[in-house]
Amino acid sequence: MRTRFQALCLVLTGVALLRICLFSDLYLRYVKAGLQPLLVASGAVLVALGTLTAAHEMRSRRRPRTGDMPHDERPPADGDGHGHDHTRGPRIGWLLYIPAIMLLLFAPPALGAYTAARDDALAASPAGSFPTLPETEPLPLSVRAFSSRAVYDTGDSLRGRTVTLTGFVTPDGHGGWYLSRLLIRCCAADAGVLKVAVYGAKPPPADTWVTVEGVWHPTGPAGGERTTPALDATAVSPIPEPADPYTDTPRAGNNG
Amino acid sequence: MRVDQAVETTERAGGLRLLLRGVGVAVVGGPLLLLVGTVAMVLGPDLLFRLDTPALAAWRTVFAAIVVQGLPFLLFGTLISAAISAFVPASTLNRLLPRRPLLAVPVAGAAGAVLPGCECASVPVAGSLMRRGVAPAAALTFLLSAPAVNPVVLVATAVAFPGNPQMVLGRLIASLLVAVITGWLWIGLGKQEWLRLPKGVDREDARKWAAFRDGLQHDFLHAGGFLIVGAMAAATFNVAAPPALLESLSGNPWLSVLALAGLAVLLAVCSEADAFVAASLTGFSPTARLAFMVVGPVVDVKLIALQAGTFGRAFALRFSAATFVVAVLSSFVVGWWLL
Repeated sequence: MRTRFQALCLVLTGVALLRICLFSDLYLRYVKAGLQPLLVASGAVLVALGTLTAAHEMRSRRRPRTGDMPHDERPPADGDGHGHDHTRGPRIGWLLYIPAIMLLLFAPPALGAYTAARDDALAASPAGSFPTLPETEPLPLSVRAFSSRAVYDTGDSLRGRTVTLTGFVTPDGHGGWYLSRLLIRCCAADAGVLKVAVYGAKPPPADTWVTVEGVWHPTGPAGGERTTPALDATAVSPIPEPADPYTDTPRAGNNG
Repeated sequence: MRVDQAVETTERAGGLRLLLRGVGVAVVGGPLLLLVGTVAMVLGPDLLFRLDTPALAAWRTVFAAIVVQGLPFLLFGTLISAAISAFVPASTLNRLLPRRPLLAVPVAGAAGAVLPGCECASVPVAGSLMRRGVAPAAALTFLLSAPAVNPVVLVATAVAFPGNPQMVLGRLIASLLVAVITGWLWIGLGKQEWLRLPKGVDREDARKWAAFRDGLQHDFLHAGGFLIVGAMAAATFNVAAPPALLESLSGNPWLSVLALAGLAVLLAVCSEADAFVAASLTGFSPTARLAFMVVGPVVDVKLIALQAGTFGRAFALRFSAATFVVAVLSSFVVGWWLL
């Protein structure tokens, strides 16, 4: 890898990082919001390093062109033994162009129905007692809060309540569908799935983001092995895909 | 006169060879390029359209996620390693560590446990430590313990396993055991020729900053390239691994430990997040989940690629295999004792 390509690679990688974390919210498709400061800093360092290298290269070209001398005539500045000198960087570095160009031109989408359909539902956090729900009707709930109450609440706090849940559509393969959410801990490679079966509404196309209003559909005793979260839908409204697809926040419906 | 003629002849021969080579390239390469071009033009759009499946989209997302997550930590690691190489005199490090490698190993293990590090950062740092004359065994122990046991990882484990402090303690003990035992194994069995010691740029004091910049650039491009290889492998397993296969292994106590240890190698989840993944694998025994958390930070496809890049393939394969065995055994022992 010649010096100019090394410089270009560093600058492109840096710009790609800045593009996804500073000039857009695309980074939220891949990692948690908390990584943003580190990403901005890394992008800036890479751009600075690449620019310095490029400037250095241009300056040294005006001086005697050591870079173009035959190998054995170069000044012995770097006597390192594993087959590289500093006008020829490591060849494997070329691979860094792949994610840089991908993130700059074709940023991959957030994970969706494909992943949600393959993975088993995440163990909803089992909690002993649940606090009383606010009186608002319909009540916006996060998919996680709804799932844990639907499966583990012995107090039946969801009974008779109308709630709104927001997530994307995952077909179940038998004509039905789930309202689903993917939650990440660190990056999209460790995504966990939350799924709520939706009854009483025609399935929108896979990966559509929707807000569903409905009432809890009990499926078994609290904490039972086959108890799963489910909802009888009264209204389904499509919404634009949120910028932070892995943040499971409650969201009011159209009228809220 | 004769010398001049000789030079002229060689030059002419050289020119002829160049011409011949050019013609050869044109004759062979031209039609090939045309063929590839035509095939790409005709089949390209169709193939691209067919390749743009949800699975491929998921692969690209997971690949991008691992790279985006890993790059800042890799850059951080290479910044530190370049700084050590350029600014820290070898004598300072050797004064900090006990002279005898046998004693230096546990000290390095403890040092790794205190410093928060990530596997992407620890490989270049370990490389620069060796470059600076630290005993390879101690540097390798540091490489293993820095990502596996540190405050961030232990807190994450405590959050992922609420009301289960044995899991945190088990992870701490098992991971430290792995780091120290593997370091000692290297003293006893390791051969210097397996290890392709990374050599750095040694310059005079006036050029320290230039050395820092050169080292940083070289290490980042080098390790970054291997991070891409590892991310591709991990994304492939992440998208292709059939979940049903894992479920079928969860019944057998021996197989389940091996299955989760293997899964940790293939998934290459970063050490700060693996506790949450382990917690979600509810079908498995606590010992199997411990093995997932002990193996993951010390052996995974991303790390093997990074180690192969920094220390050579001969080293990476032997070292990873040994570490894997030690990690599985240590998970068994600690799991049987504590969990």
